[in-house]
Amino acid sequence: MLISRVAGISLRGLSKHKMRAFLMMLGIIIGIATLTVIVSAGKGMQKKITKSIQSFGPNAVMVSAGGGKMFGPPDDKVTTLTLDDATAIKESIKGIRAFSPFTITLEQSIIYGNRNSTAPVVGATPEFADAWQWYAEKGDFISDEDNASMSKNCMLGRTVVRELFGDQDPVGETIRVNNTNFKVIGVLTGRGTSPMGMDMDRRVMVPLTTAMKRLFNVTYIGMIRMYIDDASRLDEVSKTVTSILKERHHITPPQEDDFRVTNTMSMANMAKGVSRTLGTFLALLSLISLGVGGIVIANIMFISVNERKKEIGIRRAFGATAGDIKKQFLGEALFVTIGGGIAGAVMGLIISEGLAVIKRMPVVLSWEPFALAIMFSTIVGLIAGLQPARRAAAMDPVDAIKG
Amino acid sequence: MIELKGITKKYTKNGSPEVSVLQGVDLEIRKGEFVAIMAPSGMGKSTLMNIIGCLDRPSAGQYFLDGTEVVSMDDDQLSRTRNKKIGFVFQSFNLLSKTTALENVELPLIYSTEDVDLKAKARAALEAVGLGDRLDHVPSELSGGQQQRVAIARALVNDPALILADEPTGNLDTASSHEVMNIFRKLHQDGRTIVLVTHEPDVAGEAQRIIKMKDGKILSDERRAE
Ligand SMILES: Nc1ncnc2c1ncn2[C@@H]1O[C@H](COP(=O)(O)OP(=O)(O)OP(=O)(O)O)[C@@H](O)[C@H]1O
Ligand SMILES: [Mg+2]
Repeated sequence: MLISRVAGISLRGLSKHKMRAFLMMLGIIIGIATLTVIVSAGKGMQKKITKSIQSFGPNAVMVSAGGGKMFGPPDDKVTTLTLDDATAIKESIKGIRAFSPFTITLEQSIIYGNRNSTAPVVGATPEFADAWQWYAEKGDFISDEDNASMSKNCMLGRTVVRELFGDQDPVGETIRVNNTNFKVIGVLTGRGTSPMGMDMDRRVMVPLTTAMKRLFNVTYIGMIRMYIDDASRLDEVSKTVTSILKERHHITPPQEDDFRVTNTMSMANMAKGVSRTLGTFLALLSLISLGVGGIVIANIMFISVNERKKEIGIRRAFGATAGDIKKQFLGEALFVTIGGGIAGAVMGLIISEGLAVIKRMPVVLSWEPFALAIMFSTIVGLIAGLQPARRAAAMDPVDAIKG
Repeated sequence: MIELKGITKKYTKNGSPEVSVLQGVDLEIRKGEFVAIMAPSGMGKSTLMNIIGCLDRPSAGQYFLDGTEVVSMDDDQLSRTRNKKIGFVFQSFNLLSKTTALENVELPLIYSTEDVDLKAKARAALEAVGLGDRLDHVPSELSGGQQQRVAIARALVNDPALILADEPTGNLDTASSHEVMNIFRKLHQDGRTIVLVTHEPDVAGEAQRIIKMKDGKILSDERRAE
């Protein structure tokens, strides 16, 4: 029999039981929608990891004051990390290409003329540039002289420049940071958004000494950034740093660390870990839905085959072979699962887009869910449909036609 | 056309004793004959029809249809033979529910190996039984007589050598019965071979030849002079 005729029979069969067809599709729709979200979120996560490695910088180890917080600048009140700690670390670790202790505050008000903006203020030394691979794209970077003289020179990130100066050249202009006048000597290169969604270009950078003594009158620093020569030593360096600080801060086991060490790898691994846990959970959910969906389809198909005994008998009487009947019911199962699969993929993409918009989850929409949907639905359809189709085909025509 | 030799049919239900429904039926039906089979209920008329229609297999005996041995055919060959050579008409119509008259009549063509214009042929068959204006009606929208005419159109659409009608008027009122029998009469005049089972002498009276059965055997076989 022609395949198009089989398809026609199967489709017409389904169209006579629309509600039933929909119920059969439900599990597949849910399963494939979940699968699609996994794929979209997985790809999004992959993209985010790549981006976070890029924006965190390669071969970087960071020490932040304060233990509990995972990311971002420490709270202002954490006062445990000092320049002496920094010196101790720098002296005991080999292979450091750049070493930069710095402070960073919460957002401060920045004023130029009648315009104002807010930005965290970073207190840095010239080594900040190499440690972060973050340079001046215009004007000069903070220098050793700036630090020696506690100068009131500053650099601005692109966002601050845009908000205060628009298209005007900021270099040489004077701005007010926390009621202190600073001369703009340079503009930092763009760095975009951090892995945690922070605008890295919303920054004002002043000499470290100026920040500590003139602006905020503190004796502690917020963070240390190291750029080391070899990516394979990231973990080793992190461990050494940790043990040095534990010792200097007299931290013994039940006590929690009052600092945190992160590096490029641990950042990436954390992102991966989160996505893996979520991915495994969703994959399980998807598999269960597909499995349950398949069982539901098989059961409804069995019921359907029994109810449609007479139809089977009639078809047999007018020339349908056992194979034709088998194809018809298998075709119905496949239409249900593939239809459900495609609907599920579309729904999954819509949900993914919704997560991206509402929950700001990183997702990447692609055509791959459709390929997966067709593949998985075909498999489920074949497995779920085969036994009912066989039963239908095996019916004795004389018996069947009696209904 | 049809040659049955020593056909028997036994049913064995596990536990209960064997039931012999047909006990050696010998029967020859020639092309173009219009034969009525009469017997009391439960005497094996339907069983015999199913065997003639290649829907069921005898327990023993030989059956030649158009000179071809049927008993040794496999299931697919039987299906193809039914499709090409047999047109069934049942007492209870046996139309597909929720399916239009046109689609019901297309059924044998769908399973045909020949690539034909399904719709055109089905429409022509429905027009031939006077239902050209009911193509899109589903069975529940048709009277019993109309449903049986759809069933006859379906039996005819593939141009079978043999039409088997098992009590085709059994569920119909007198007027509808007449309509249906008029169609059978015309089919006979067109030279079709028809085997018809009935309880009603009136209906049997349309046939040229009346076969009476009892206890699984042929009791009498009378030909009427035309
Ligand atoms: N599948 C079966 N298993 C056991 N016995 C059966 C089976 N099918 C039919 N029979 C028996 O065979 C006998 C003949 O049945 P059949 O349907 O051929 O009778 P019939 O002459 O067509 O009767 P009716 O006029 O009522 O239609 C009946 O006694 C019936 O009980
Ligand atoms: Mg009967």
